[in-house]
Amino acid sequence: MDFLTQLQSTGLAHVIAKGNHLIGASLQVLHILGFVVLLSSLVVICLRMLGLAFVQTPLTQVARDGVRLIWIGLAVAVASGTLMFISGAWHYGHNWAFELKMVLLVSAVAVQVLLFRRAAATEVPSPLLARASVGLSLLLWFGVGLCGRMIGFI
Amino acid sequence: MSTLLALAEQIENSPFGMALAESRYAFAVIEGVHLIGLALSVGLIFLTDLRLTGLLFKAVPVPDVLRNLRPYVIVGFVAVFVSGVLLFWAEATMLVENPAFPFKLAFIVLAGINALYFEFVIAKRAPVRENHAILPVSVKRAGYASLVLWTLVIICGRLIPYMPPTG
Repeated sequence: MDFLTQLQSTGLAHVIAKGNHLIGASLQVLHILGFVVLLSSLVVICLRMLGLAFVQTPLTQVARDGVRLIWIGLAVAVASGTLMFISGAWHYGHNWAFELKMVLLVSAVAVQVLLFRRAAATEVPSPLLARASVGLSLLLWFGVGLCGRMIGFI
Repeated sequence: MSTLLALAEQIENSPFGMALAESRYAFAVIEGVHLIGLALSVGLIFLTDLRLTGLLFKAVPVPDVLRNLRPYVIVGFVAVFVSGVLLFWAEATMLVENPAFPFKLAFIVLAGINALYFEFVIAKRAPVRENHAILPVSVKRAGYASLVLWTLVIICGRLIPYMPPTG
């Protein structure tokens, strides 16, 4: 038996998949709420970084609360997403939208840590760094959302 | 109720509705756009609410938050609304009979009333416009009401596929 099948045969997986439907539904709701908080906070920092909004507030101040919300949103989404994955590991592991989502997610987090954080830490990031961070970051996170929503319809 | 159901059947069975429902990728992509539009509109409203309640972004004055985010909230809403209409077109019968759907619509209406009352009454008052350090309690209340109502919209929306079929 391969690993994914083993994973979804565990007791926890059975409770989530075969137990009360409200468990699965609650995880889905949490997953969406986490993503909503993550993406909107990211958009706000991006707007400030490009000088499109909140120009009177220092970037580092907008970023401080915003970045905190991004990681809170991500934590909620990853935690609920992990439990959802366990309940149907084989199905998710053989879904191209899920695989693409994971590639985009890892890339998005890498951009966040390696590029975006550097840009958001300075008061006036170089226009090239700011635009590259915003462009890559938004593209990847929007892709994560789009692929995520497509999983169930593939 | 049966007139509504008949109308829904007619919408769903229209050539466009059937093409949407049977498409390989269009339906999934529209679902994705619905989610991203939601993240933009409701997400930015959540952030506005967090400022209204005084929990976050205290460095930014409330009128600045409203003015700066409004265009993007509207863009998100257009995306959510257009994709939502398309989804309804493809699944009208299921949605009309779904117990969660009318609640979702009702909470959207309530959240909309709350937002309009805030924009046109509360936000027009002097302490908000002039960014006083201590804002009226009504500001905080509007923020919490919005947080709760939009969360209920999301919950009811996500519950739609979990509802047992009726009728």
